[in-house]
Amino acid sequence: MSQLELDIKNLIIDALGLEDMSANDIDSQQALFGDGLGLDSVDALELGLAIQKRYGIKLDAESKDTREHFANVAKLAAFINSHQTA
Amino acid sequence: MSWIDLPALLLSPDASRQITLAPALNHALLNHALLNHAQLCHDAGRLAAALKARNIQHIAVHCRDSATLATCLLGAWQADIAVYLPADLQPASYSALADHVELWLGDSDLAHFTAPHTLIAEQTQGLAARQLNDTVPLLWVCTSGSTGAAKRIGKTLAQLNAELCALESLWGEALHDAHILGSVSTQHLYGLLFRLLWPLAAGRTFGREQLGYPEDVLHQAQRSTRCAWVASPALLKRLPEHLEWAGLRQTMRAVFSSGGPLPAAASAQIAQWLTHAPIEIYGSSETGGVAWRQASDHWQPLPSVELSQDASGALQVRSAFLPAGHCEHTADAVELTAQGMRLLGRLDRIVKLEEKRIALPALEQRLESHPWVSDARLGLLQQGRAHLGAVIALNAAGVFALRNQGRQHVTQTLRTHLRGYCENLALPRRWRLLQQLPFNSQGKLSQQHIEQLLNAERARQPELISQRVEGDNLLCELLIPLDLAHFSGHFPGTPIVPGVLQIDWAIALARQLLDLKGEYAGMEVIKFQRLLRPGDRPQLSLRFDQAKQKLHFSLRHNDEACSSGRIRIEVAHV
Repeated sequence: MSQLELDIKNLIIDALGLEDMSANDIDSQQALFGDGLGLDSVDALELGLAIQKRYGIKLDAESKDTREHFANVAKLAAFINSHQTA
Repeated sequence: MSWIDLPALLLSPDASRQITLAPALNHALLNHALLNHAQLCHDAGRLAAALKARNIQHIAVHCRDSATLATCLLGAWQADIAVYLPADLQPASYSALADHVELWLGDSDLAHFTAPHTLIAEQTQGLAARQLNDTVPLLWVCTSGSTGAAKRIGKTLAQLNAELCALESLWGEALHDAHILGSVSTQHLYGLLFRLLWPLAAGRTFGREQLGYPEDVLHQAQRSTRCAWVASPALLKRLPEHLEWAGLRQTMRAVFSSGGPLPAAASAQIAQWLTHAPIEIYGSSETGGVAWRQASDHWQPLPSVELSQDASGALQVRSAFLPAGHCEHTADAVELTAQGMRLLGRLDRIVKLEEKRIALPALEQRLESHPWVSDARLGLLQQGRAHLGAVIALNAAGVFALRNQGRQHVTQTLRTHLRGYCENLALPRRWRLLQQLPFNSQGKLSQQHIEQLLNAERARQPELISQRVEGDNLLCELLIPLDLAHFSGHFPGTPIVPGVLQIDWAIALARQLLDLKGEYAGMEVIKFQRLLRPGDRPQLSLRFDQAKQKLHFSLRHNDEACSSGRIRIEVAHV
């Protein structure tokens, strides 16, 4: 698990109040929404805001890819990486 | 036995009409070993004369002894004095009434109380007996209400008497001459009506004391030929199985329960022991009694009660127990059907999460259906977004699972158990695990209290159950909280109290209880022999060796050593 993935997992736990979870409990490939971690659309909104604030990136509401970037932690890390190096 | 309406209770003193079967509680406030109706009338008349001589209009009354309360009420009412009943003796209950009353009457030792017998002793001649006024409110019950703000609700004797007549018409025959035992306070409307005013009007004897433990009730019940029990769900769902309940089949004519719903399983268990299920009363301080049920989902209105619903589905009540023409709007969502009324939960227990309505009672019932859970309550938390938290009382199987599989396994299992019963957004995210929920003696736990429990950090210290000195040692009985914060990491699948934490607790408790000064400077011969786990009740022994500046500690559980050692303490010399 990269440092960025670890940071994202801790951010998810803090932002969504998942008190009984630790970063080790979230698999980087595990689906965040639907059956996986059990997060819902309001969590997606909260998480989107937290990611944008922490990493200073903007999500494009129109882009079909946005949903894809939030599928799991690994994809989210790749997405943040590509924006920070760009 | 003959019925006397409440306003006529003092008109014809009758020495053959027994009121109590036992002497007064410890203070012996009234001198009669067994109180009969003539003595009650006599005392009430003299108390009325003493109050009238002082030109008093309003009094507050608090009595642990229900016969003393009867004397105070009837004495005050005979002098047309309004009686306020504070719910308890807390300072907040005092200040809520301090401006409204001129005198505090009762059997409390608190400085602001006057004992009724000192007033009675002043008068040789009582006030002449008369029909009591039943058109102005002479009784005010005090409640914290659902919002937590103090509230006073006035009742006329006509309202109270109408309710007593309704109760007698339903259950008078079944009770016959039963002696009435009570486990709820007579300072609240339910206890006052069922334990005191109803038996007074019907001519049944009643127990003077609030019996807080099932053992006491069993003991008292075994001494009478016929009895009935005025109880609450808090007690009825915690009756120990090993007691001889089945032996009461001939004696116990009825068990009443009010204050909150009684779980169906508890009702069925009691029905199995006694051959009849408890009679549950639904009502409130505002409405008085509204409906009753016995081993059923459906509630039947009490005689004279009319039920209807407002647009939001909340129950509205009209009855002879309310002021004439008044329609009381409750906060309870109900369904009215041909079979009766079903309670759907309090409207303030239906919360909105992101515009979706979530009925907390339905989710709580689902959680309580899990084999590890004895009680569950949910509350709303604001942390970023609003979400739910759960306060769970684990039963023995739940504690076993926690000890052997860890906290996260337990909370995940309970979350999974809720899936399919609610949307994901309602799945609790914060969990507090306890051995018992802190219900009060009326079986209530306020929403505010639940949310306090949820907002509090998880415990970092053991609970100190008791302490005593034995020789040079201080012995402390501790409880390891199920929810100890350290269990999440140590270890996720096997929660055990870290060794370093045990040393930390020993020092912290020595500072607190032995007034230990100085700083940690090292340790010697530290041994860890047995694991300490959630729910354990170990005994900590502490001794400070002043000469050597060493704190000796040992932790034992069930007579097995868990850990021990010496901690060097250094006092800084300036």
